Amino acid sequence: MSVMAVHPNTRRLVEFEREARNFVLVGIAYYLAAQAAFFIGTLSDKIFAPFWPPNIVLLCALLLAPTRRWWLPVLAVFPAHAIAEHGVGMPVPQMLVAFATNCAYAIIAAFALRRAVGGPPWFGTLRKAWLYVLIAAIATPAVVALGGAYVRVLSDGATANYALSWTEWFMSNALGSMTLGPVALIALSARRWSLSSLPTRLLIEAGLLGVALVAVCAVVFEASVGNKASGFLPALLYLPLPLVLWAAVRFGVKGASGAILVVTLVLIWKALNGPSIFLTGDSETSVFAIQAFLIGLSIPILLLGASIDETRHAEQAVRESEERMTVAAVATSLSMWHFNYESESFWLTDHGREMFGFASGEAVTRYAVMSRIHPEDRQTAIEAMQAATAAGKLAVHEFRIVRPDGVIRWIRCRAGALGDYRGAPAQISGTFSDITERKAAEAEVALQRQELAHMMRVSMLGELSGGIAHELTQPLSAILSNAEAARILLTQKNPNLAEVAEVLDDIISEDNRAGEVIHRLRGLLRKSEAKFEPADLNDLAKSTLRLLHNELINRRIRTSINLERDLPLVSGDPVQLQQVLLNLLLNAMDAMNEMVPSRRKIVISTLLLNGEEIEVSVADSGVGLSQAGQTSAFQPFFTTKERGLGLGLSLSSSIIKLHGGELALQNNAHGGATATFRLPRLNAMMVAAKYS
Amino acid sequence: MRFTTFLVDDDPGVLKALSRLIRTAGYESRGYLSPQDFLRDHDPDVPGCAILDLTMPDIDGLELQQKLSEDSIERPIIFLTGNADIPASVRAMKAGAVDFLTKPVKREDLLTAIARAEERDAQVRQNRSELQTIENKLAQLTPREREVLGHVIDGKLNKQIAAALGTVEKTVKVHRGRMMAKLGIRSVAELVRLAGRAGIAAQH
Repeated sequence: MSVMAVHPNTRRLVEFEREARNFVLVGIAYYLAAQAAFFIGTLSDKIFAPFWPPNIVLLCALLLAPTRRWWLPVLAVFPAHAIAEHGVGMPVPQMLVAFATNCAYAIIAAFALRRAVGGPPWFGTLRKAWLYVLIAAIATPAVVALGGAYVRVLSDGATANYALSWTEWFMSNALGSMTLGPVALIALSARRWSLSSLPTRLLIEAGLLGVALVAVCAVVFEASVGNKASGFLPALLYLPLPLVLWAAVRFGVKGASGAILVVTLVLIWKALNGPSIFLTGDSETSVFAIQAFLIGLSIPILLLGASIDETRHAEQAVRESEERMTVAAVATSLSMWHFNYESESFWLTDHGREMFGFASGEAVTRYAVMSRIHPEDRQTAIEAMQAATAAGKLAVHEFRIVRPDGVIRWIRCRAGALGDYRGAPAQISGTFSDITERKAAEAEVALQRQELAHMMRVSMLGELSGGIAHELTQPLSAILSNAEAARILLTQKNPNLAEVAEVLDDIISEDNRAGEVIHRLRGLLRKSEAKFEPADLNDLAKSTLRLLHNELINRRIRTSINLERDLPLVSGDPVQLQQVLLNLLLNAMDAMNEMVPSRRKIVISTLLLNGEEIEVSVADSGVGLSQAGQTSAFQPFFTTKERGLGLGLSLSSSIIKLHGGELALQNNAHGGATATFRLPRLNAMMVAAKYS
Repeated sequence: MRFTTFLVDDDPGVLKALSRLIRTAGYESRGYLSPQDFLRDHDPDVPGCAILDLTMPDIDGLELQQKLSEDSIERPIIFLTGNADIPASVRAMKAGAVDFLTKPVKREDLLTAIARAEERDAQVRQNRSELQTIENKLAQLTPREREVLGHVIDGKLNKQIAAALGTVEKTVKVHRGRMMAKLGIRSVAELVRLAGRAGIAAQH
């Protein structure tokens, strides 16, 4: 359908055309319906039309039109009514009263149905069908008949039996609404004529059913009154019932209303000239009998059809909902499971079966599922789930599974206990989600972060290479001089071996000093994942300063170091912590490049706070943080240095976070800035957890 | 007094080792962890040389060299550094250092430099003492004799000197004789050399 801007005038013209067409159609339909009714009357002297189809025409027209337009159909049918009634010679006053009554029926019924039922599908639920029956077949005909009975009174005068007249009007409208109404409403409300969408099999079945019904009804209603054994009559009347029921059950309301219509038409046809079991004495009684039979049959059948439809729709809705859930679950790689402790039954969606590598016929049991969990993860997984469900919380746990084909996948399981329980849940249900891709991505991210951290360390050490070389030169120089001195001492006449021993001791300690520097360097240059162990922050501070010794002297920076005595250890990766200290110190040093040498000072301090936290701070007397710096110092790629990458603080911040602390930067009151971070002290629990 | 090496290095290990090494060569050695300590203790009369590290906090080796020269202290300096820095070494040599060595330093290199420093130190001392002697002798001259000295190194004849001083040649000869005797020299050439040493310039 193309979306075009339609000129308002064009649209109005199209609408007008449509309205005009409907107007004419309604009028014609009404007229034809009236003629059909008269025709039945002319065809037989045994009966007359048991219902008045034009009412149903008007009712349908009203139900299909918006309320504010109801005057149109009413206006359309008036001429049709007048012409038709005039054609059979009905006097005008009667004709008018009849018209008024007909309109009254249609308008009241339509209004009430609109309010109570709303709109199509008119017989979608049992409740709607009941309302239709009550409104269109019982209440409205009863009320309208009160007025309609006056038509007879008008024509026949005082001899007319009001009660009988009322009954005639009532039954006529009731029958019309039950036999013609449903079919008409369903047909006219159908949004598309979906005959082609029905499977051929069903079409054939419906066709056969129709034919069978016609045949049976024809036979049944033909049977001569009293000719054969009259005891069979009740049984005979029941013959069409199985077919009608079949129609209702198989095809819902459509089938029910169709079958009822077929029975009605066949019955009328057969009754036109008899013999028929319904034909008794006078035509009124015969018609009355027909009406009673058909109404009695149609009401329960229609309700049955509506009930069947309702159930089918509900089932359909559930199926669709399940399908949607399955599709959604599969799309997110989620599978659902359910375990009942009492019956030991484990339910797993097909997707879950695939996930866990169950063969198509294989039974899923709790044991089978648990045995697929990776042996290393099994114990912790089971314990975690049990602990959480026992505590009434949603349990979330990630573990590996090993499929029968050997493939290992990472699974995330969420589960919760269902319903009330005391201590041990009776049912537990949850989801499995395949997170292997995510885990792989996480691992890759972690690896990249590691690479980056390593690269930063290497680049920092590159900057310091001169200073580091110097740090090694000193001990080497001392060692050489000591060794040469010892050599000379040994060539003396009476060598003082005690002094030589002292010299050798000094050599050893100088070597250790160099070794320490190399050790630290090696650690910093190594690219490995963080390994948590007990770390001494005082030690790290001192050795970091040693690494920077030469650089500090070159830049004429004075340092002051305030270390807390007996500082407790923390749990961390010494390499990464030293990286942070290096980064903070280098930043502090760079901050003072513009300052006069006499004002360049760095203070490193360690402090034990409230017995539990260790605070480390690096304070400089440099230019301090700018406005931008205060907000974005930790952002990646933010730098104030000419050749800076801007990653140092960002990395340092994430390293400290990893260690359970937080890195903060603040301007000092007297110029410069201080970087501070706090870490929890190492305690017995952490030791147990890390080394278990 | 024995020749003493004054070691200034902020690294205690290096200080100790160097001290030891130097002592095995028979020299006296004193170590200071900072230039301030060295300056506080320093006695210019003690023969010796200074062995300075370049990179030290507060005052580095070059600045110390400058300070010594500002205070007119003549102390031969050997630089010993872990960073081989060409501009620094050029500056050091231009400012009069004896040598510029890099760590780790070999014994023979160090001792060679110390020997050169010792020579220079001895030289300096000798010069100084000679100068002192000359000045002592000069101090003994009377003002008149001083004047005559000035004219003699000018190359003036006695006659001219007499005219300049407003006295007779004979008086001049007497002054001249006494002056030469006090100074302990016998020829004018020696006088000129001595005057040159003492920094007495020609008058005209």
